[in-house]
Amino acid sequence: MRNVAIVGGGITRFGVREVGWKDLVQEAGKAVFDDVSNLDRKDIDSLFVGAAQPERWVYQTHVAPLVAELLGVDVRRVIARTEVACASGQAAIRYAWLSIATGLSDVALVLGVEKMNTKHMNISQTCMVNVGNREFDGVNGFTAPPFFAMVAQRHMHDYGTTKEQMAIVRVKNAKYGVMNPYAQFQKEVTVEKVMGSRMISPPLSLLDCSAMTDGAAALILASEDIARKLTDTPVWIVGGVQVVEHSHTVNQMGDLSEWKALRKAADELYKMTGIEAKDIDIAEVHDCFTISEIIEYEELGFCKKGEGGKFIEEGESYIGGKVAVNPGGGLLANGHPLGATGIRQAWEILMQFRGEVPEGRYVSGARIAIAHNLSGMAQLHHLMAYSVEKPQNLKG
Amino acid sequence: MKKIKLPDLIELPPLLDPWDQQEASGADATGIYEFYRNLAEGDLTTTKCRDCGKIGFPPAIICTNCLSDNLEWVRIPEVGELYAFSEMRLGAPMILDQIAPFIVAIARFGDYPENGVQMSGMIFDSGYDELKIGDRVKWEIIEIKGPAERKRYWYCFKKV
Repeated sequence: MRNVAIVGGGITRFGVREVGWKDLVQEAGKAVFDDVSNLDRKDIDSLFVGAAQPERWVYQTHVAPLVAELLGVDVRRVIARTEVACASGQAAIRYAWLSIATGLSDVALVLGVEKMNTKHMNISQTCMVNVGNREFDGVNGFTAPPFFAMVAQRHMHDYGTTKEQMAIVRVKNAKYGVMNPYAQFQKEVTVEKVMGSRMISPPLSLLDCSAMTDGAAALILASEDIARKLTDTPVWIVGGVQVVEHSHTVNQMGDLSEWKALRKAADELYKMTGIEAKDIDIAEVHDCFTISEIIEYEELGFCKKGEGGKFIEEGESYIGGKVAVNPGGGLLANGHPLGATGIRQAWEILMQFRGEVPEGRYVSGARIAIAHNLSGMAQLHHLMAYSVEKPQNLKG
Repeated sequence: MKKIKLPDLIELPPLLDPWDQQEASGADATGIYEFYRNLAEGDLTTTKCRDCGKIGFPPAIICTNCLSDNLEWVRIPEVGELYAFSEMRLGAPMILDQIAPFIVAIARFGDYPENGVQMSGMIFDSGYDELKIGDRVKWEIIEIKGPAERKRYWYCFKKV
């Protein structure tokens, strides 16, 4: 396997955007090419587009060649659109990494995009209900909020987690989001404000939930020799895994308050990379709901099982705590355009490692970061590890 | 200027009806036709493997445990336990927004996971504050009245 690095990134403002899907693609594409200004676009040989449901939200399919056209890119090795619902973006990074690592591709453009706000929000919710088994679970109203509300209910029941602890996750991520000009939400919140916000699906209030968001993000990935020519500050991909354990329909999920597939993914990633949980400086995790981030602390090994609520309450996931979790504001502050989120996470890590974020959300001296996406009803967990060091150096 | 005239009202594509995957019209429409036929006759059933004994849900044409296609139809025990629940208050998908708010629940029937099933279901007859984890619930067959040509059936949960 060849070493693969992220050499540059670009992002659009996330939010309810008064622009079209193709505008978002061009905004993010222009931003990434501006960031890697010494790259000749002719050197890009591959393109991976993360997009979850463009055929439902904007009635457009066959989107990868459309993105190529919109950005004036000619592909000669690999071109594909990746779809694994909420983790479609990280999947695009993963396949670009694999293609370059094997030597098939040398330079890849990776772009994730979703336009989720339409005139008819119940149609958008219909898209979300298709993420579970539509015939057997979607039909019973299994969109994300009621499902994650049940996850929260069980975690509160099984481990004593409180609604207040969940609210602190939002407080933290909102605090960092204010320092991220691309984030959808630009206001700090208090525990009282989160707990007092409108009940969506009890016990989850509006501010426990991430949003339906329009946005796009893009990266350039390159092989080691080319990366060295393009940048002095490459971010190396040091590993990546995905775990699903024949779990899609509710019957296969077992206990909702335990995400065994995530624990297994973390074990696999740590084994693959030589990284331990305590080595991680930055964790970009999938806080689609406040409860998700709490469970992720536990399953990623940052704290003991059941103590995720205490972990945030004691400030351990703030910058300066045991591990800086979502220093860019996470999904809660940025919003969650499905195909773009995984790429936004990698973009945040790139900006952190390059020191190009405001001081208040800068994780000084960070060397190792992980990014976690989950898709659907937490059935499938996706992890990537990034470092300023090459993988060989990390393993010692 | 030439005009193209579109109808004043465009019919809703049936694809957005969450029950449209019920191909209960005949055995040639889906391999789990019996599931829907049994629903119409008042029974909630699933497939059980005759070789390894595993009860599957949703029903399927092969056993996901041992890949055997030697399956039998079994009745899901009528009374189970409420495992988790919430309420769909805001943000329901199309069609389901017509009946919101409703309780969204997960219940366990039989000896889950060894010899039972964990299923999602809606609850209509109890409010959120009237339910608690561990409540005994039973499944009940309901009729879906609507735009389809044939009669369609589904199930919901009800507090015992």
